Amino acid sequence: MVILYGLGSILIAFMVGILFAGISRKVKARIHWRYGPPLYQPLIDIVKLFHQESVSHGFIFDFGIFFSLTGAIVTLFFIPIGYIVPLHESGGLLVVLYLMLIAPFGIALSSAEAANPNASIGISRKFILALGYEIPFLIILLSVMTYYGTISFVEIVEIQRESTWGIISMPITGMAFLLILPAMMGLKPFDLTGAPQEISSGPEVEYGGIYLAMSKIQHIFLIFIDIALFVSLFLGGGAEPLTFFLKMVPVFFIILIMSTIYPRFRIEQAFRFCVRWPTILAFLGLLLVVWR
Amino acid sequence: MDREQVIKALKDSGKWGHKYSLWAIYFGTGCGIIEIPPVITSRWDAERFGVIPVATPRQANLFLITGYVTLKTLRAIIRTYEQMREPKYTVGFGSCPINGGMYWDSYNTIKKLDKYIPIDGWIAGCMPRPEAIFIAVTHLWTMIDRGTADAYKKYRKQYKYYRKNQEMALGKLEWPPLYPINEDE
Amino acid sequence: MNKKNLIQQLRLTFSDIQLNEHEDGIIKIHAKKEQVKRILSYLKDNMYNHLALISCVDWIKEKEFELIYILTSYLDDKELYQETGDIYLKIRIPRGDPEIETVISVFENAEPYEREIYELFGVKFSGHPRLIPLFLERDYEVSPFRKDFDTRKYVKDVFESIPVIPEEEE
Repeated sequence: MVILYGLGSILIAFMVGILFAGISRKVKARIHWRYGPPLYQPLIDIVKLFHQESVSHGFIFDFGIFFSLTGAIVTLFFIPIGYIVPLHESGGLLVVLYLMLIAPFGIALSSAEAANPNASIGISRKFILALGYEIPFLIILLSVMTYYGTISFVEIVEIQRESTWGIISMPITGMAFLLILPAMMGLKPFDLTGAPQEISSGPEVEYGGIYLAMSKIQHIFLIFIDIALFVSLFLGGGAEPLTFFLKMVPVFFIILIMSTIYPRFRIEQAFRFCVRWPTILAFLGLLLVVWR
Repeated sequence: MDREQVIKALKDSGKWGHKYSLWAIYFGTGCGIIEIPPVITSRWDAERFGVIPVATPRQANLFLITGYVTLKTLRAIIRTYEQMREPKYTVGFGSCPINGGMYWDSYNTIKKLDKYIPIDGWIAGCMPRPEAIFIAVTHLWTMIDRGTADAYKKYRKQYKYYRKNQEMALGKLEWPPLYPINEDE
Repeated sequence: MNKKNLIQQLRLTFSDIQLNEHEDGIIKIHAKKEQVKRILSYLKDNMYNHLALISCVDWIKEKEFELIYILTSYLDDKELYQETGDIYLKIRIPRGDPEIETVISVFENAEPYEREIYELFGVKFSGHPRLIPLFLERDYEVSPFRKDFDTRKYVKDVFESIPVIPEEEE
């Protein structure tokens, strides 16, 4: 049963992720007053990358990217997509908290082996940004755990189904989470990890062929996981995968439209933003939860 | 996509992928690079064809050599071309890579780019219009379909002659040969 | 000081120079090559403190090179700028073994101009810290911008002698 749910989970995440990536390119193009690529263009890119020859720099180079993709998939197994949750008895929120850091760690391993200074700059930016958004993220998770009294995702979704949604009972915490979601996903204005104009695509500078395909799939999975976290904790999850997907769509559209309009932050501006307003809002939310 | 295209895509997914997702490396080698920003921005949109600019040669599979090529640029072009991953396609853009163009009797530019790296096709003009780039991309699709866009295979087979020509033009090269050369062949 | 004073002072200070003034305001000074640094530092102290360009002309029939130093001034006053024009300082050196002293001690931005003239004409500048080619990659026995450099012959010898890649044998 676990295996079946696991495969179903991966398949749903992949398809929804490709659809979201295609929609994001099309909507960005239409906002720029031009036609965009067809909706299945990310699929064509990934198929092409699997047929391209790739060069390896050593064993850690291969291991690093594979490690990060595996970390993303394992994190996916803990999040409930409707009733499909492969590993629901173990951990829950706490496990997701530290599993989400495996993905950038794997990329850091392969960037170190690639020996390109652009890759080192990119991955150091990613870690500083991760330090920035982990601070409010921890406080948000702490307030969620205190309010519901449990760390299991399935119970949180059930409590929300009986009473109200999380965003109505903890509005300030929800707002804080919505503010740091672009930083966790790596979309503009926080996409300074892989900036093509500044540092030649950061950690992806030496990837080609199958490594780039795995990096893109891992990025798609991370986008799916972050939005799914928000929907599970604050928008009531979903009884079936279809309602879950319908709840993911407006969150995705809000972040997409913000990401097509804004330019890119510098790393000190991004860090300063993440530590200032989302942290203050998260603290306020925690105080409100503890008082009640 | 109608049913015939879907069947063709499923039968040979490699060709389908290579055709509709050509990533061009954003390296401006000459004066012709002034025509590329209009092509990739809103007015003449190249993203409809799947062509987007990327920043590093490891991720790219299309190299547009725009404008004239001096000896100093030729060094950079050869190093970039050898870093790209196969299969890769090169297109000579403008009249100068074809036969020297406006600088046919200059002391510092090379006259035929075909002697130093292999080229799939040429676009004539000084500078060509953006519509000419789109026609060239569709020609490249037809060539990939038929299997005749194999300039990179020619580089691998005849590398001995290419390296000798490069050394005659540039003097001593600082990088080792890409494929092993047997001297007694 | 304005232009008339400057012309008078120049004629008084330096002995054997020729000074012409054109109707569009440009002053042309013809001098000898030993006086270059003195004239340039004098002009730099008197309002003409920007070396715009060093250029070179090949007079092949008279067997001489002519170096032209173009001086303008950074002026904030618009009325004063209308009145003054540029100054051209023209120096003639023999074509057989051309050599002249560098002016980097007076104007520091003369370094790339002198490198360019060295690689394209073959004029040596003594005292230049870094006299290496700026654009060119190969060695030329006749420098490319001289009037006895045959471009067609050079292209035929060097570039057209490189063979076309043969088609592969089956």
